[in-house]
Amino acid sequence: MKRTSLCAALAAVAAAFPTAAHAGPDDYVHTPAVEYGEREVELRLGTATKSGEARQSAAALALGYGPTPWWFTEVYAKFERAGGEGTRFDAFEWENKFQLTEPGQYFVDLGLLVEIERPRDRAEGYELRLGPLLQKDVGPVQANFNVLIERHYRAAEPQVTELGYQWQLKYRWRPELEFGAQGFGEVGQWNDWAPAHAQEHTLGPALFGKLHVAGRKVVRYDAALLFGASSAAADRTLRARIEYEF
Amino acid sequence: MTFRPASLAVLLAVAATAGAAEPEFLLVIRDHRFTPAEIVVPANARVKLVLDNQDATPEEFDSHALNREKVVAGRSKAVVFIGPLAPGRYPFMGEFNVATAQGAVVAK
Repeated sequence: MKRTSLCAALAAVAAAFPTAAHAGPDDYVHTPAVEYGEREVELRLGTATKSGEARQSAAALALGYGPTPWWFTEVYAKFERAGGEGTRFDAFEWENKFQLTEPGQYFVDLGLLVEIERPRDRAEGYELRLGPLLQKDVGPVQANFNVLIERHYRAAEPQVTELGYQWQLKYRWRPELEFGAQGFGEVGQWNDWAPAHAQEHTLGPALFGKLHVAGRKVVRYDAALLFGASSAAADRTLRARIEYEF
Repeated sequence: MTFRPASLAVLLAVAATAGAAEPEFLLVIRDHRFTPAEIVVPANARVKLVLDNQDATPEEFDSHALNREKVVAGRSKAVVFIGPLAPGRYPFMGEFNVATAQGAVVAK
């Protein structure tokens, strides 16, 4: 299937479901490049604290595959835990990443993210998240910025389309240890942003790395400690992701 | 606060397509080795590397220095864009055959 027709098909599936969404503390910064033929097992963990509120934790386990040089697809089982409650299944998610330009070919590298989530709570309907993935390399520094919209469809209550963003800067020091910063934010309805005090913005230091195991077997990791930069955001979020590629 | 999506769309389109023709260099993969093992490219210019994998098995062009990873299927070609590079030596390897597939881009 050609890249454009597959992107169009996924967008059509999303549009066919005519109802606020929040990324979990285990969310990560997506990058636009795809590795053809790569298979991976991924584990994501995140926990967020906010003064006066119960701790929110999330985890996700995923299997991913790159069937073409421009498409990577991944299926997640997501879990959550709030306060002293037990960990419970939260949702299934189907994540698709499309590499739209060859890395380095243009001024910025461009990709497209399309995620469809089916929450355990059927009253939430389906959640769609999509948007462009941007990357720019300047010497040893890599910069990413993604603008993502989220919306629930077929939910019990009317929903709005919300706008979020994520970014990272990293200094590619050594393959096994790179360092930088990451940030995540949600500004409210996509075309009518919430007042500043109701927006959620977090940012903080991050570490990244890639460890060769043998042949094409690789372990990648990234982790960040995020601090709330707005009153509505969590005070502190610790998030981490580890992938085994084979 | 009102967001104007058209502005973002125009910005993305202009930013992503602001490219130009670049010099092209051929890098052959044969017997799990790169030929040439050292490839000289102009500094401070975007360069197109054409990877011609003549082996029957896939190989991955991998360079942390260049921030590129590209899998090339067996008996096929792929393209990698690099640069603009400051003058210097940028090692790369074939991730599936690290013992033999080693090379470097030299920017002058």
